[in-house]
This record gives sequence, C-alpha cells and structure tokens, in this order.
Amino acid sequence: MELDNRIRKLQDRLSYIRDIFGDKENANIALLQARLDEFLTQERGMSLADQMRHMAQLEDLFLFLEKKLDAQLTPMDRVRIVRHPARLCLKDILENVYDNYTEIGGQDEYSIDPSMLIARAYITRRVGKRVINQPVMVIGQEKGHGQEFRNGGSVKPWGNAKALHYMKVAETENIPIHSYVFTPGSYPIEDYPGAAQQIAKNLFEMASLRVPFVSVISEGGSGGAEAIALSDMRLMLSHGYYSVISPEGAAAIEAKTRQGERVAPELIAKCARQLKITAADNLAMGYVDKVIDEPPLGARVDHYDFYKTLRNEMIKATNQVILQVKGMKLFRSLALSERLARKGQAVDAEEVFVSWNLSSKARENLVWKRHQKFRRLAQTAYMDTRTFGEKVVGRFQGLAWAMNSYFRYEFLRKHQRKIKRLQEELEAEVHLVRNKVGKPIRAVMDKFAGGRPQTVSEEAKTSLTQLSKWDDKGGLSNGKWVYTSPKAKEDRTVTCPNAETHGCLDLWAPDLFGEYAGVCGYCGHHFTMEYQWYLHNVFDQGSIFEFNGQIESGNPLGYEGFDERVAEAKKKTGLKSACMTFESRIENLNLVVAMLVAPFRGGTVGAAEGEKFVRAVERARRKHYPLLAYVHGTAGIRIQEGTNGVIQMPRCTMAVQRYIADGGLYLVLYDTNSYAGPVASFLGCSPYQFSIRSANIGFAGPGVIKETTGVDIPPDYHQAHQALSRGHIQGIWDRREARKNITQALLTMGGRNLYYR
Amino acid sequence: MSAAHKVLVANRGEIAIRIINACRKLGLGFVAVHTREDMHSGHVRHARTHGGDGAVYRVSSYHDANELMAVADASGATAIHPGYGFFAEDFRFARRVVKRDRPLIWIGPSWGVIRELGDKINTKRLARRLGVPTVPGSDRPIYDEMEAEELAQSLFAFQADQGFERHLVLLKASAGGGGMGIEEVERMDTFRSTYRRLRNYAKRQFQDSGVLIEQRIFDFNHLEVQILGNRRGDAHVHFGTRNCTIQSTGRQKRVEVAPGFAPGELTYGFDAGKVLDDIVEYSLRIAKEVGYNSVGTWEWIVTPKGDPFLMEVNTRIQVENGISGAISKINDEGPVDLIKEQVRCALGEELGYSQDDVSFDGLSIEYRIIAEDPSNRFTPWVGRIDRFAWEEQPWLSVLTHVPTDEPYDIPTEFDPNLALAIVKGKDLAEVKARGVAFLDSLVLAGEDRAGQSLKSNVAFLREKTANILEF
Repeated sequence: MELDNRIRKLQDRLSYIRDIFGDKENANIALLQARLDEFLTQERGMSLADQMRHMAQLEDLFLFLEKKLDAQLTPMDRVRIVRHPARLCLKDILENVYDNYTEIGGQDEYSIDPSMLIARAYITRRVGKRVINQPVMVIGQEKGHGQEFRNGGSVKPWGNAKALHYMKVAETENIPIHSYVFTPGSYPIEDYPGAAQQIAKNLFEMASLRVPFVSVISEGGSGGAEAIALSDMRLMLSHGYYSVISPEGAAAIEAKTRQGERVAPELIAKCARQLKITAADNLAMGYVDKVIDEPPLGARVDHYDFYKTLRNEMIKATNQVILQVKGMKLFRSLALSERLARKGQAVDAEEVFVSWNLSSKARENLVWKRHQKFRRLAQTAYMDTRTFGEKVVGRFQGLAWAMNSYFRYEFLRKHQRKIKRLQEELEAEVHLVRNKVGKPIRAVMDKFAGGRPQTVSEEAKTSLTQLSKWDDKGGLSNGKWVYTSPKAKEDRTVTCPNAETHGCLDLWAPDLFGEYAGVCGYCGHHFTMEYQWYLHNVFDQGSIFEFNGQIESGNPLGYEGFDERVAEAKKKTGLKSACMTFESRIENLNLVVAMLVAPFRGGTVGAAEGEKFVRAVERARRKHYPLLAYVHGTAGIRIQEGTNGVIQMPRCTMAVQRYIADGGLYLVLYDTNSYAGPVASFLGCSPYQFSIRSANIGFAGPGVIKETTGVDIPPDYHQAHQALSRGHIQGIWDRREARKNITQALLTMGGRNLYYR
Repeated sequence: MSAAHKVLVANRGEIAIRIINACRKLGLGFVAVHTREDMHSGHVRHARTHGGDGAVYRVSSYHDANELMAVADASGATAIHPGYGFFAEDFRFARRVVKRDRPLIWIGPSWGVIRELGDKINTKRLARRLGVPTVPGSDRPIYDEMEAEELAQSLFAFQADQGFERHLVLLKASAGGGGMGIEEVERMDTFRSTYRRLRNYAKRQFQDSGVLIEQRIFDFNHLEVQILGNRRGDAHVHFGTRNCTIQSTGRQKRVEVAPGFAPGELTYGFDAGKVLDDIVEYSLRIAKEVGYNSVGTWEWIVTPKGDPFLMEVNTRIQVENGISGAISKINDEGPVDLIKEQVRCALGEELGYSQDDVSFDGLSIEYRIIAEDPSNRFTPWVGRIDRFAWEEQPWLSVLTHVPTDEPYDIPTEFDPNLALAIVKGKDLAEVKARGVAFLDSLVLAGEDRAGQSLKSNVAFLREKTANILEF
C-alpha cells in the first residue's frame, strides 16, 4: 500500500516535470521516465525489501535530477511553474504558515470576488517562556488549485476594493499586513469602478498606509500585483516571476498580431527571457528585497518544509520593518542581522520577539521610510546626460527652493495674514463710525434733493459710447490659434465618423484642424491633435521652461533591438523621452506640467519618464506650484523596460501622494488614448481628473480585453463619458476651452498650500 | 477683362438671375446651381436659356461647400458669387475659396474683412476707435457686477433722455448665440437678479460669465449706406442711403426707399440732410480703415432726436441694392448695376470713377412681394400660384424667379419671397403714386392644398406707401 503511494507520488512528480518543461526534449526527464518504467515492470518479481531499496534509490535519483533540472529552468519554465495547479496557494499558506485564521470578506465562491482572499490570521509562538500571539491581516490573490470561480487569481476591481477596505481595517487596528501576490494580472473590466481606477486608488492609499506591510510575490503580473504590493518589504519566491506583462502578452505586442492569431512559442520564450522576470533578476535590479528559496522545481502544496521557511521569513521581514522605525530597538536588530548569524545557519526569527505595536510617531516614520525606499529605486534604468557639476547644482537648487518656499509661504505669510486681519478690523470700525455720524447729514441732503432720479456721472455716460479697454484674447489671438497643426495645411475634406448618425457635412481640413481645433463643427466630435497644439495654445505664450530634459529613455534590460527603436523614436520626435516636464504659466499662474507625449513610443512610461515625473512632482511641491499632468496619450508601461517600468507605478504614485498631502493641486487631463499602468496609478489617483472629449480611458485596450477575457466589448467602452459615469474623471472638456477650464480648476481646486492661495 | 472668367452663381432665385445678367453684361461665362426642389425655378430656366445645359448643375444643398467646390472644378469656374444668404457672409467659405489648391476668385469682400466686420463686438469697437457713434452699451463682455450695474443705470438714463416711451436694457451672454442667453430688463430694480441669473447661466452653459449690456430701441428709423470698394480696398464710393424702416413683425424688411430721408420735401425734428451726410461719412471712414473691397451695406439706427448709431455692417450685396442703383448715375449714366460693378471690381478692374462722378436723382421704392398674411403675424402662405401679372411700365422693374406663364408651386424649403418691384419717380409724390399704381395693377392669385386662396402682403405694402420716409 505504502509502495503504491510512493509510486503514485513519483508519477505525479514526473508528470509535473513534464508539465513544466513542456515539449522540450531532455535527457534527464527521459532517464527518469525510463527508470520509473523499469521499476514498474520489475517490481512484481521482487521481494518487499528489494522493492523498498529500489524505491529509495529511485527517489534519490528523482531528487538528484530534480535539482539538476532546476538549474536548467528557463524563465518561461518558471512561468509554467507558477501557473501549475499544483503550485502552493494562499489557502495552503494560511493553513500552514499561520497558526489560526479566519477568512473574512467572503468564503469560497460566496464572495464579492473569490479571487481576492482576505484573512485575519495569528502567528502564535513561544519565545522563551512567553507565548505570544501576533495578529496580521493577510491579503492576497487565491488561484485555487484549479477552482474555476477563482478566475485564476485575476482580480476584478471590486476585489481590489475589498483588499483596500481591509488594509484600512488593519490600519485602524494597527496590525501588520502580509500580502501574497498570486496573480497573472488584473481583470481588465471597466465597471463601477473600473480596473485602472481601483488600482490607482489602492496604490494611492497604500502609499500612506500607516502599518507595516510585507508582501510576497509568487506570480506578479503588472497592475494586478501592484494593487496589493506597495509594501515596506517585498519578498519574492525563488521560482516566481514579477513582470510588466505576461510573456504571451509581450510577444503578441512584439509580433503585432491581430485578434485570434497565435504567437510562436519561441517568441514567447524569448520575451520571457528578455523581460528579466525572474526572482534573481528582480533582486539584482532592486525591485524585491529578498528572495525566498523554494524546493527544486518550485514549491508545491505538500512541501511542508517550505511553509516553515516562509513563516520564518515573514516573521523576520515584519520584525525588520518594525525595527527600522522603532525607538527602542536595542540589540534586537542585531539579533536579526544576517552578518552576525553563524555561518551556514539562518537566523531563526521565531526566537526573536519584537512587539508589532507601533507608536504614532513610528508609524509616520514608517510611511516616510517607504517613500524613501521607492524614491531610490530604478536610478540606473534611465540615462542622465547631465555633467557632474550640473547634478550638484541641481541638488542645491532643490534645497534653495525648499528654503525659499518655507520663508515665503510658511514664515512670512503667517505674519502677513495677521497684519491684513488687523487692517480689516480697523477699516470696519472706521466705516461704522462714519456711517453713524453721517446719517443725519445725508438725511437732510436727501430732503433738499427731493426724490430726484439718480443722476448718472459723466464717466458712466462715456463708458456707454467710448471705446473701453479690453485685453482679453486667451489662446486665440485675433481669431487664430498661436499654433496651427500641419494637418491644417492640406486642401482636403475630412468626413466626421459621426456623419452617418449626426448628419455632419464633410469638413475642410484647414478649417477643422485650424480654427476648429480638430472639433467637428456639427456634432462636436474631437479629432486628435498633436501635443504641440496644447503646448502653444493652452499655456501663456513664451512661458514654457523645460527642465530635466537631459534625462533620457534608454534600454535598461538590454532588450534585443530596442536601442535602435528608442533612437528612432528620439530622432522622429526630437524628444528624449515620452515625458516632457516644464514650468509654465496660464493666465499668469505658475504651474509645473508633466506631459506624456503619444508620438514617443506611444507615450509609454519607463524609468526615465517615471523619474522625470517624480522630479516634476517634487519641484511642484518645493515651489508650492500646482501640478498638471497632461496626458496627450499613453499606451501604458513600456514593456521593453520590464519591471523598471512597473516600479514607476508605485514610485510616481507615492510622489503624488506626498504632494497632495502637502496641500498641492494635482490636476490630470487626458487627451487621447490613455490606458493601463499610468492610468492605474499616478494618473488615476488624482482627485481632479478631466478629459478632453477625444479621450479613451481604461485599463486595457479592446484587443487585450478580447484576448484575456474572451469578451467582446462595445465600441464606446472606453470613451470619456463612460469614464465620467464611472466616477473616474470629473468632467469632459471641449478642446478649445482647455485653457479656460484649466484656469478655472487652478483657481477653485486643490489644497491650501499653493503659492497663490 | 478676360472673357475666360467663369462665375459660379452659388445662390438661387432672383439674385441668381441678377448675377447671371451682370455676367452677361460683362461678357463672362457663368454656372448656375439648383437643388431638386428648385428644378423649375426661374433662375434655372434663365441660366439654361442663356448658357445652355452646361451652365446648370444640380446640387443636393446650397449649403454644401464641398459640392459647390466640386461643381466649380467640374465646370471650370474661376470665380464664385455667393449672392446673399447661404455662404455670403461665411468667412470660412470665402477663405476656402481663395486658399484651396485650385483657388477661385471670391466675388465679395475678402475673408479677413468678412471676419472682422462679421463680429458685432469687433465692429462696435472698431467704430468707437474711429469716433463713429454706436448704440450706447458695452463694447466688450462685462464680468464685474458693479460695472454692469453702472452701465445699465446709464442706459436707462440715456433712454429717458432720448424720450423713449419704453425703456429696455438687454443682457446677452457674450459667448451665447442663436438667441440663447438673452434677457430683457425694464427696470433697474430687477437688474441685479436678472444679471446674476444670466451670468450663472452663461457660466454653466458656455464656461464664460461675460455679459454684454445693451439696449433695445423701439422707436427708430432704419437707414443704410451702400458702399463699393475696389479690389485693393483703397478706393471707395458710396451709392447713397436707403430707408428700410417698414418691416414685418419679425423685423424683416418689406419696403425700402432710397434715399434714406427726403429733407427737401418733408420736415423732420432734426436736420435730416446732415444725418444722411454724417452716416455716409462715418461709413466711408470704417470702409477705408478696414480696406473694404467689395459692395457692402452699413446699417444705421436713427433715433427720433436725430442721433445716428451704427448697428452692423453687412458684408454682401443686399436684396435692396436695386433702389440704390436706380437713383444713382455714374458720369450721368444710370441706372447703376451694383452687382455688375461688384463683379467687375472683384475681377481686379479699377473703379474708373470717383465719388464726384456719381450723382443722384429722384427716389425709388422697392416692394417685396411675399405670399404671407400680414394680419396674422406675417405667417407664410404656401401653395400654388396660378396667376402672376402686372402692367409693365418704363419706371418699373420687377425681379422675380416666379414664372408668369405657368403655375408655380412655392417651395417650402426657402423663404416665400416672390418678387421685388422697383419703382422710380422724380419726387416723393410721383414715386408714391407710381407705387400705388403698380400695386393696384398687380394680379396675384393662387390656391393652397386646402383650397384656401393666396394670401399676400400687397395690401400691407399699399397702406405703408402713404407715409414713407416720414419720421
């Protein structure tokens, strides 16, 4: 009986290996198969002792070859490991890593989103003579071992909303959060809320979550992973992957396939390799803090030893996060230090007791540490062509602004206000006295005048007939825009796409793209316009001062052939990255603008764009300027930069969160197609988002939705008015009125710390 | 002038006929267009008679610029005359005509001029800059409540001063249009609440809270000055004034008289001769400033006290240009065909005469004969005209696209204007008598689908003839 079990186990292991390595020919696998077959044919004739002995040998062989195979794993094999139904799941972790837990926020299929699992769990242990109970909030995607209703760990927006809700609960209860990322990516549905909208909200809230947060990544698919992984300590399972996009998705984009077409498996494997998605790669780039070693060929449900390792690591990580902000740490941090540990023997975190309660000051500190941690990431993934001297000057300049702002807005303004208030009081007094004293005199005067109609002053009369002063021209000077699109120079007619339904007549291109600013005069359909149009027609003339222009997009992963493509984009657009940051004025109000420019590789965000954005936010914060993110268009995160791009989601969001918390005004304006990562993070988190009528806003484009969910979406699925009804954006603007509306927004929205408030 | 020029007549009805005639006088080719509904209109017949089948094209709409351009290209037209209405004052169309890859000559003021004078605020500011009187009121959007109140107060005072019976201040959302965002205020007491309501409405509706503070004058005479400029816009002559005070309830002109007043024969409460001279001088001042380079009409309001105010400039040939031509002579030759002069100048010819060569003689009245019911708020009548005839006279010219020898169905798509009758006389008494004589001789009968007989404004016109030019 026992033997049968062991045989079955070996058979399972073999079929698992076959699953992982796919169709690849491998001598080791063949050998295992041959040995197992041989054993099965010979077993009948053997005595029990022989059988056992052979079995043990066979098992040793399996172990040996598994280790050997482990070393041969390609990134694509790792992808297959994390997707295998035998892979350990969050439920298994809850059972085996924690001592007691209660699932909250739904049970099995009876949940608002069964793919997001929340549990209140306890870690109970004995340290010395004390028994300590430490509660944590466990959040993570549950793939279930093949359970259909789990949707493969692909979380819907309301699942992420649920996660956020319980993070807030943990914050209230002041207990640490452990999150486990087991997701191929978020479910790209636009509902109430939309996928991007909810992830952005999650990121924004997590940026200021005042409890220790440790996350573990097994399968980290882009936005879905970020939604619960913005943490103080990011661990990664050694056989997991963490990537900007699934290798299949990347390959589909690379091959430019149309819907329904299949991509060659070789290309998928190549993409998986080039995207640097493995734990080791991510550790090297610094996007995870530590890698937890798994058993050969990845941890499966029955690897009980691994749960112990995981538990140990989780306790240790939580302890470390807490100790870095705790006032009274004494020797305990030393006890956890790897350097002091005896060689070859890992520190047993179970033996170290660190209280997981944090004072409110420590909690502030924790958030600040988290900001710093993310701020430092991805610093080598972009090209900075500034000289050393320029860099130093840049540093000082930032400091100078901060000091200047402090004096002007904190120090001086306080006194100014006091004086002003006093002045007002005095004026009111004088007015009162004058009114009282003058009343009888006026009464007498009125009597003499005797109800004569009010006379009109000469001055008022001339105002009726003389030319008055008027210097309002806006972006339109003498009926002409400052900048005219090159499209307005062709003599051709353009048919509005709504012509059939709205009866629009054909428009003459010079009218449409010139005076009408690309808006159909009959139905108001917005044709897309170049980013230069906004640059020159929205902002005050000659007020644009670009900064950080020397930060350039590069090819941090050494992605094959990408250097040429970036160089080509630079040549074609004359830009250095897809993000243009500049200071400008509208109606004489200073503001900092970060513009995502669609012609540069689709306006995708990579390390350079993220860094420029973060610096623009910091500049706006230091100078107390409002900040406008002008999204001319963005296709998402630049996949060829891999996790260097993904990490910009939390990085930029944190910068924005800090800016908003400091009382700034963060305004986002979408213009054309705005999709994926950026919308699901630093753009989508703004409380003031608007769109030009030409915008499409969403998480994934129609093609990707069809590909991943199999659902056909209606053509207006991503249109601006849908985003408006989902509450993602706050308003839709006519392009010709962008300037007017931005001015209005600058005057009426945002925090109290702006320089002109 | 090269005979190679071919004019696309982008209009219908009597103006199309007049343009075709002007082209024929100048020896130019022409192309007429018509819609399906207008198939039997007189202008199509006229074009076919004088230009053959090749001179007539069918379009789906007179409003479709693309189709007109296609017709111009297909027919080899080199110039385009918009007539009045449709594209006549559309600067975008005018711009497209001259800026396209195959440019055409635009017979009308250049697009820059149309744009400049098409914007009423701009015209008002231009006039004020040149010291030309305009209707008292704001010449820019007002954003400040105190300022708005002050303006309104002065306007009420002005109206009291002029002795108007009804006082009315108009508030208009400056970004509005098409009758949206206009409020009337009769008393200062209600001004503030109305102003705020309109301002908030404008802010919501047009994202701009600017309000224009203007007034409505009820008791006034409507005068016009006819101006012609050469292609370069540096030589201008005027062809006298017109009085268009007799209008329907919807403020549509019904009877026009040239000249604007008759100071020799009637007495006015002010110096009418000086008013006429003034408005001509003011109009020319603006024309010179903007370099006006075609025919145009400056519209004036004259109050009972004799104060003229510029209302607007119509940058096109007008319906009533015939009466100005009728009383004018160039080098003692008359009448003057203003459309011919316009086409001639547009093609680059010099005027060839100065103001001193233009003389005026007698009076002229134009009647607009329209199938409508003056007793019922001038409601249009639509049906079939069976008989349409009048007595020909040497002092009379009738411009019509309605055939006189066969029944004609009035198309419902356009305004039911049937004919223009221009009567000429040497003095007021004669021209009035001839006008009445013409109207009496006019036979106009028809029936609509319901069997009702035709309704026209002939009686209304006759009644109004009695006291024309009196004020």
